[in-house]
Amino acid sequence: MTADVHRSTAPGAAPGGQALSTLILAVSAIGFVVTVGLVLSALAGDGHRAFNTNNDGLFWGLPIVTYDFFLLTSTGLAVTATIGLALGVKEFAAVSKRCLWLALAGLAGGVLSLFLELGQPLRALWAIPFSFQFASPLYWKVLCVGAYVVLLLLTILRTLQPGWSVRAIRPLAIALMIAALGVSMIAGSVFGMMVMRPFWFGGEIPVAFHIESVLGGLAFAVFFTYLAHGFDQDRLPAGVRALFRDRLPFAFTLVISLHAMFVAARTVSGLWSNADGLQVWQHIAASPLFHLEIWVGVALPLYLMIAPGTRSNGRMQILAALLVMVSLFVARYDFIIGGQLIPPFKGSWAPSMLSYVPAATEWLLLLAAIFLANLVNAFGERFVGLDDVPADT
Amino acid sequence: MTKWGMVIDLEKCTGCQACSTACAMENNRQPGESWQDVLYYQEGAYPNVKLSWLPRPCMHCENPSCVHVCPTKATYKTEDGVVLVDWNKCIGCKYCQIACPYGVRFYTDTKAPVEPDVRTVFAAADGKHTWSPPYKAPDGREDWTHGVGIPPAGVVSKCTFCYHKVSKAPAGVADLNEDNPAVKEYVPACVRTCAPKARYFGDLNNPASEVNKLIAEKKGVRLLDHTGNKPQVYYLTGKSAVIPSGRALKNT
Repeated sequence: MTADVHRSTAPGAAPGGQALSTLILAVSAIGFVVTVGLVLSALAGDGHRAFNTNNDGLFWGLPIVTYDFFLLTSTGLAVTATIGLALGVKEFAAVSKRCLWLALAGLAGGVLSLFLELGQPLRALWAIPFSFQFASPLYWKVLCVGAYVVLLLLTILRTLQPGWSVRAIRPLAIALMIAALGVSMIAGSVFGMMVMRPFWFGGEIPVAFHIESVLGGLAFAVFFTYLAHGFDQDRLPAGVRALFRDRLPFAFTLVISLHAMFVAARTVSGLWSNADGLQVWQHIAASPLFHLEIWVGVALPLYLMIAPGTRSNGRMQILAALLVMVSLFVARYDFIIGGQLIPPFKGSWAPSMLSYVPAATEWLLLLAAIFLANLVNAFGERFVGLDDVPADT
Repeated sequence: MTKWGMVIDLEKCTGCQACSTACAMENNRQPGESWQDVLYYQEGAYPNVKLSWLPRPCMHCENPSCVHVCPTKATYKTEDGVVLVDWNKCIGCKYCQIACPYGVRFYTDTKAPVEPDVRTVFAAADGKHTWSPPYKAPDGREDWTHGVGIPPAGVVSKCTFCYHKVSKAPAGVADLNEDNPAVKEYVPACVRTCAPKARYFGDLNNPASEVNKLIAEKKGVRLLDHTGNKPQVYYLTGKSAVIPSGRALKNT
């Protein structure tokens, strides 16, 4: 490949992909305007009374679940992108540009959700960076996310230049990978350091966040790469097809396995323990959503990626990616909400276990984040050329 | 330096909630925003039922996790040992609520636990405050940097140990006792109103203070000591009173 800009050569990829991305762009734009308008209207009228969080103990609701899910997906996508650009596994460079753009799209959705959840979002922009509150995990998280955003934008800008290469972009990609790993680690520490909440507490939580982040990154990379090519394996560029035939299913299997081990270990130890605060595991284990998450969202994709007959099959890869994406969202929901279901000292003023159902405004905020992320991604698919690969691969 | 602390004698406490009411009136708290609460615990089933209670203000911990996690330093500890929230810096991230083991923090912008919502009935006309209660304290007493007064929306509020009172106490005083005319105006509302005199307030750094004597002589204990927060509120259990070890007890 010697041309300045290296693109897909698969027959029919461009016209079909463009039509689909134009459709997604239009639907996402309309969906985003409608949902964010409804959310802003509810917040302007009722403030955060439009959410179903409360002072009994359920302080962080669906908007924080959405924020953390999108943020970790974004960092996972950045790590996936930099496997090819920073670590020298050149096969992964076939999806690097798309992953970088998807990371930006996910970040946009997450930041939207966070800003509409914070009580004073504009104040946060200056109050956190200039507080120098070194003891707070959130302070470090914001610093790390700031560095991550800058590095992600710089890396994307480099990939927009004609003739971009792995060699030229590597220092930036290494810095981006470190920042992305830093964000997911601190995002885990925000929960893992809370000794007063046994459901969350533990040094393994940041490690689990790393794994879930990379798993989400791989799943989104698979799904949205197929989406860009009309879910047709034959229209994938040759480099992507080779990656999806060999290295990616292996990496996907490995990370799903690690995730499955963490889920199993945490569930078993949680169910066994009788420490105050861990009784929520009984509640979670009795929930159909949890079983959907572990059997359909973890075990089935693991089987699909291990079995020789399905691991390289495009449709099975799409199915596995979709199931993993949904199960990771359910896992994030169970983790964040579950950690708050046992109320702190409230006596009989609160039930022994809280219940939480997100309000319509919170669901709309989730939809707004999804529409925004898809809007950004579809814009990239339509106008940026996300199938480009580095000149030196 | 003074380190204000409180002692609550559970053998004297009758669970009458006068402290909760006094706090709500003194500090203009909304329903559900119980800076000073009395928690009730019901255990067992008829005919073997036990009802117990635990008065629970903010613990104003020596090593407060809420201060450590606050990303903007809006939550801070004063030199005289009181944990406060600066509403000019708070961003409403609620991480302090997550990190507080005692559940003593309240976001000012959540659904009302009872209807009608007082924030609608007594709506603030200036757009800055969450509400405008008819019995509110003089505007001149409002002090957002110390979390005193009517808060804005989108911040977290908490017990201040009636900082607008105790911060004006004469320097070097060992105890703020409502029976002492010289200092009674500086006594926190919950202490001053306690009918069975179950509450004591004084300087934990002063060996001669009544609170230190009670802690030493009656073996004062602190809630959830394993978290390392080291509350500055001590409980006296005597021979019969108990402190619930769990955060939640089933009503069965």
